[in-house]
Amino acid sequence: MPRYLVQFAQAHNDFRLPELQSIGELLGISVTLPSDLESRDPMRPVMVIDLEVEEHARLLARRCILIKAVYEFYAQGFTYAELHEANKLSQPSWARYIEDTSFRFLVTSSQHKIPQARQKEVIESFSYMGFLGKIDMKNPEINLICFEEYDDRHKTTRVRHEGDGEFREVFFGRLLEEGSARQLIAKFDVKKRAYYGNTSMESEISLLMANQTLASPGKFIYDPFMGTGSMSYPTSHFGALIVGSDIDGRQMRGKGKTPGVIRAATQYGTASRIIDLATFDVTHNPWRCGELFDAIVTDPPYGVRAGAKRLGRKKELPDYKKELCLQHTLNGRPDDQPYIPPTKPYELSHLAADLVVLGRYLLKPNGRLVFFLPTVTDEYEEVDIHTMLCEGMEVIANSLQDFGSWGRRLVTIRKTTLEKYPPPSFDPTPEIDANSHIPAHKDFREKYFQGFKSKTDEFNDGASLSDP
Amino acid sequence: MVRLITHNLLACHAKDCNTNNFPLAFKDVQLEIREAEFNPEFLRGFLPKLEWTALVDTAKQLGDTSLPVEQPEMLDDEFLKNLHHVLLEIHVEEGSMTCPNCGHVYPILNGIPNMLLAEHEIG
Ligand SMILES: C[S@@+](CC[C@H](N)C(=O)[O-])C[C@H]1O[C@@H](n2cnc3c(N)ncnc32)[C@H](O)[C@@H]1O
Ligand SMILES: [Zn+2]
Repeated sequence: MPRYLVQFAQAHNDFRLPELQSIGELLGISVTLPSDLESRDPMRPVMVIDLEVEEHARLLARRCILIKAVYEFYAQGFTYAELHEANKLSQPSWARYIEDTSFRFLVTSSQHKIPQARQKEVIESFSYMGFLGKIDMKNPEINLICFEEYDDRHKTTRVRHEGDGEFREVFFGRLLEEGSARQLIAKFDVKKRAYYGNTSMESEISLLMANQTLASPGKFIYDPFMGTGSMSYPTSHFGALIVGSDIDGRQMRGKGKTPGVIRAATQYGTASRIIDLATFDVTHNPWRCGELFDAIVTDPPYGVRAGAKRLGRKKELPDYKKELCLQHTLNGRPDDQPYIPPTKPYELSHLAADLVVLGRYLLKPNGRLVFFLPTVTDEYEEVDIHTMLCEGMEVIANSLQDFGSWGRRLVTIRKTTLEKYPPPSFDPTPEIDANSHIPAHKDFREKYFQGFKSKTDEFNDGASLSDP
Repeated sequence: MVRLITHNLLACHAKDCNTNNFPLAFKDVQLEIREAEFNPEFLRGFLPKLEWTALVDTAKQLGDTSLPVEQPEMLDDEFLKNLHHVLLEIHVEEGSMTCPNCGHVYPILNGIPNMLLAEHEIG
């Protein structure tokens, strides 16, 4: 099978492979990753993958947010000697460019600047390829690229060019296409949006979430904690039809007659794909039946900026007070303010478990639930997600976004069952007994405000969870 | 917004209101018609989810009589176009929806329905 070199953008390493695999699935492209763990390590800036045809590499580069560029792969090596040896064997792949093709030769790297003199030296070492076409630095027909991979030098200061040539591995190929989906990050920039709030999700992450949902024309997607609608813009941009709900209608409306979410979607040309917005508590929801949606994508309330709440009271009212409330609601005077029901806190670990059961009910078979879960990195164990799973729901991706003293995980769960399940009861689950594992995200809010002091002495500046 | 596709999926969810709680009855509505993209694939896929009689009756109530009383076997283009219009292009911007069973009124303001329950209505 032909091999292609993927160069990743230097961001969100843990999201690279889930995105590649999701978009492969969405577009019906079979993506074969390298079989050995080292070559498949998502922390490395480039990866050699197998695809059926060149067009597939181009399609991936047009939809994956984390692809910087894709190349036809010719060779790799731990030294230039190895690289050249392998490249000679790839001659059938590049022989067609020998005769009469204008070209440009680039020597680049990640995390490092290669001195001009050595770049020139490297380029000359490829002279055996015998390209007869003219060198064109502006508009060449092909770009040949030599990519030296250096270890991540983040957080260390070094003298310019120090360690030059001490790369981990070097790769060689022909540029096919630069990743054009990255332009969407600027398009969906929150600060340029007609409507946003302090819970809005940053552009790049909301695009990555949208790709995890497999958003495309005709898909029906639901956000039960809609807020200011951040995930609805990229998903509707990719063609999906969106329904959103929130316990607090003001989050979706903002000020003005036209709801804020609709104003923002109008700016992106997708207002007609925002099917509806509704105000309700997801734990008391009015959905008539299940198996409605292709995906549920959401940023649940963690309790820091936008607290998790649900209808009800912390302490039940005595009966006489309940009766008073009832009479008041039933016989309200015309000048009364709209009724605002009382709410009580909603523990995050309950919420997460409820969300999975709700997903199983509301998703079509094979549908996806994509959501964030905050967690204390030091305490985090894989079991956290598995403690909240239920039959018929399977974790297919779990990507950490690391902020140092805390992190959050983007979880993608697929509904694997064809069975019909009843709607969730949302009964508060019985207290977790002392022997069972307590998920790290339990009582997250308290830990957040203590700056996770019990585990680390780091000072936490109280930055927003959704918009760090 | 409130489009009929959504209306067809919402039932009254007040405590103990489990039968005859659908469809919610529109009242004092202000309508707007807005164009939406035609996607026959989506419509075909959605048909099995619809409560057909409720949809036909509600459309009629809002002044659209283009849908047949029985769901047709053959989904021709004309039928799908009419279905598209009814499901996705009629927007109820103001008014309310009333539960036929318990009488709960769900108000609609600027196209967003308030489906919150009062304290005595939750289980
Ligand atoms: C983290 S914010 C979501 C932000 C959203 N992604 C955005 O772009 O603004 C969580 C939202 O959940 C809502 N919420 C909290 N508890 C809820 C509940 N029980 N049912 C529905 N929505 C709830 C809050 O009003 C808040 O808007
Ligand atoms: Zn009712």
